[in-house]
Amino acid sequence: MDYLWFVILSGYALCVAESIFSLTSKQPTLRRWMIFPLALAFATHTAWLVDRGISLDRCPIAGTEEMFAFLSWALVVSYLIAWKWSHALALKAFIFPIVLVIATIAAVAPQSDASPAIKGPLQSFLFPIHAGLILLAYSAFFIAFGAGLMYLIQERELRLKRFGTFFYRLPSLDTCDSISFKSMAVGFIMLTLGIAAGMGWQRIRDGHYWHGDPMEIFSIITWFIYLALIQSRRSSGWAGRTAALASIVGFMIVIFSLVGVRFLGTLHPFS
Amino acid sequence: MNIVLVGLSHKTAPVEMRERLAFADSSLTDALSKLVDHDTLDEGLIVSTCNRIEMVASASADPEKGIDRLARFLCDFHDLQPAIIDNHIYRHAGVEAIRHIFRVASSLDSMVVGESQILGQVKDAYRQAVQAGTVGRMLSQLMDRALSVAKRVRSETEISHRPVSVSSVAVELALKVFDSLAEKRILLVGAGEMSELAARNLVEEGASNIIVTNRTPERAEAVARNFGGSIVAFESFYEVLPTVDIVICSTGAPACVINAAETRRALRSRRKGPVLFIDISVPRNIDPNVAGLENSFLFDIDDLESVVRANIDGRQAEARKAEVIIDAEAHHFINHIRAMDIGPSVVEVKEILAQLALSEFQRNRKRMGDLTQEQEAAIRDVLIPSLVNKLSHPIIVHLRTAAHNGDRSQVVEELRKMIRID
Repeated sequence: MDYLWFVILSGYALCVAESIFSLTSKQPTLRRWMIFPLALAFATHTAWLVDRGISLDRCPIAGTEEMFAFLSWALVVSYLIAWKWSHALALKAFIFPIVLVIATIAAVAPQSDASPAIKGPLQSFLFPIHAGLILLAYSAFFIAFGAGLMYLIQERELRLKRFGTFFYRLPSLDTCDSISFKSMAVGFIMLTLGIAAGMGWQRIRDGHYWHGDPMEIFSIITWFIYLALIQSRRSSGWAGRTAALASIVGFMIVIFSLVGVRFLGTLHPFS
Repeated sequence: MNIVLVGLSHKTAPVEMRERLAFADSSLTDALSKLVDHDTLDEGLIVSTCNRIEMVASASADPEKGIDRLARFLCDFHDLQPAIIDNHIYRHAGVEAIRHIFRVASSLDSMVVGESQILGQVKDAYRQAVQAGTVGRMLSQLMDRALSVAKRVRSETEISHRPVSVSSVAVELALKVFDSLAEKRILLVGAGEMSELAARNLVEEGASNIIVTNRTPERAEAVARNFGGSIVAFESFYEVLPTVDIVICSTGAPACVINAAETRRALRSRRKGPVLFIDISVPRNIDPNVAGLENSFLFDIDDLESVVRANIDGRQAEARKAEVIIDAEAHHFINHIRAMDIGPSVVEVKEILAQLALSEFQRNRKRMGDLTQEQEAAIRDVLIPSLVNKLSHPIIVHLRTAAHNGDRSQVVEELRKMIRID
């Protein structure tokens, strides 16, 4: 394991500990200092990706290690954007555990060179666009999942009339719902473009748009689920509980696409 | 100089007593100028509200005398016998007086701990005393410090974070459902005092769109006019239900006014976010089953009051943290005064030394032989004062630093021993 991963993982682990502590404690005193471990971990993480890209002279999103490294990095970026936009600090406690898990997978994954599929003459500018967009879409769906979870917890607190620390630390239902919806919408656009880029890339490679690969099937299922969600939210102006639950289902499917699909046999080189 | 305080509050005196001893705004200037006699008391300030009367002053000599004068003045000004008020007033001097005024300004001594009104009242009292010309160096420093301590308590503790009234708790809950109230439509069912109060709190948070309905439409119109809202007939308020986001119900009806079945039907056509129902009537006016409807939240008066109680407990816990801050600040301030107040001691030291030198001069006069009158005057007026100044300088420096740490009079006492007088 690369020693840089120790820096990255311990920074994120500190963030996880502090954010969960802040969510449950009355006095979030450590909060203002957390910027330092987060900044250090994130900078190191960025440097790792850049260094990998330069040394291999390609976009570093091929193979399990790189892909998970990129996904966890994208998730931190997405969190920063969502936080900046909504000021919902509580989101951190729901996102950083996922960041930590994904980054750990990247750290312990065997360092593999890129699979033959994207090497040599087959390499095309479409591949990094395809993989990058889909991973960015996934990170947006993770944010939607975190916000959906916050929604369900806050709704539960309101229904049970438990006005404890959780109730005060979590944002309003409105905020949870709009973070969830907006990140789903952004994720959906990126997923659409990412799938299109993937199809284009395959067309160039072997003349087929579609191979019936499990990964492809799951991507299309994911795409339809998010389409249905966004459509219902657009027509009702509010997604509420159903959307929160659906964002969790969507998250499960994304996780399965990332982890489970490899057991079904796939053409996708990263799995 | 000493800070002294005499006062009474809701904790020590019944309301009749507080009413009799209160200072009306119009008589305050007169009272202040009578209080400060420039003999026992040099400066004075009076805080008089419906819950308390605080008289703060700086006493030039004995603090006990200053306190007595304050108490006597309180009786004399209101034509009362001292015996009547004796059991109802508290008397503080020095650090206790400072701590008390800090606690009052920080709202630790208030009936509702953490309320913000008292700070404004203290500021007003300070301003009035400044205008009356009864605030000098000592009290102005004390009051400036008290105001900044109050600010510190407010920002460093959560003493006034959580609301402690039913209507402001309703707003707090609304803000955990909705992001902001600016675009929300509010339906007031019943135009009683309670629902009006809740509506006022929501409007202060930015709500602007209010619909009122009431069995007697005249009352509904009056309330709607207050908030720039509209009215809807009581018989048909279910029709507007799908368009509103917050429903506040407070009628005197003995049974349910809003029932679950009708509400379910009305909400079916609703195509947006959740609806918040707040029932502040006793007996309840909203069917409890409304809480079970999709995307609707219902809180009744018991729920709101349980939050109020929890928040009051929370404030008590925060008040304990505030006491620590105030204790430190009060001690810091008393040390500051002591350091500031070495002037009289300096004079005293110089006098002691001058007298010593003068008596030695007289004792040894004969041994000095013949001196002209000019020579004698030069020794008396030039040599002795110059020697006294030279000798007292290190003593004064010592006094100044010692005063920072301890009791000034003790230091003076030690000096007396050092130069062997008495």
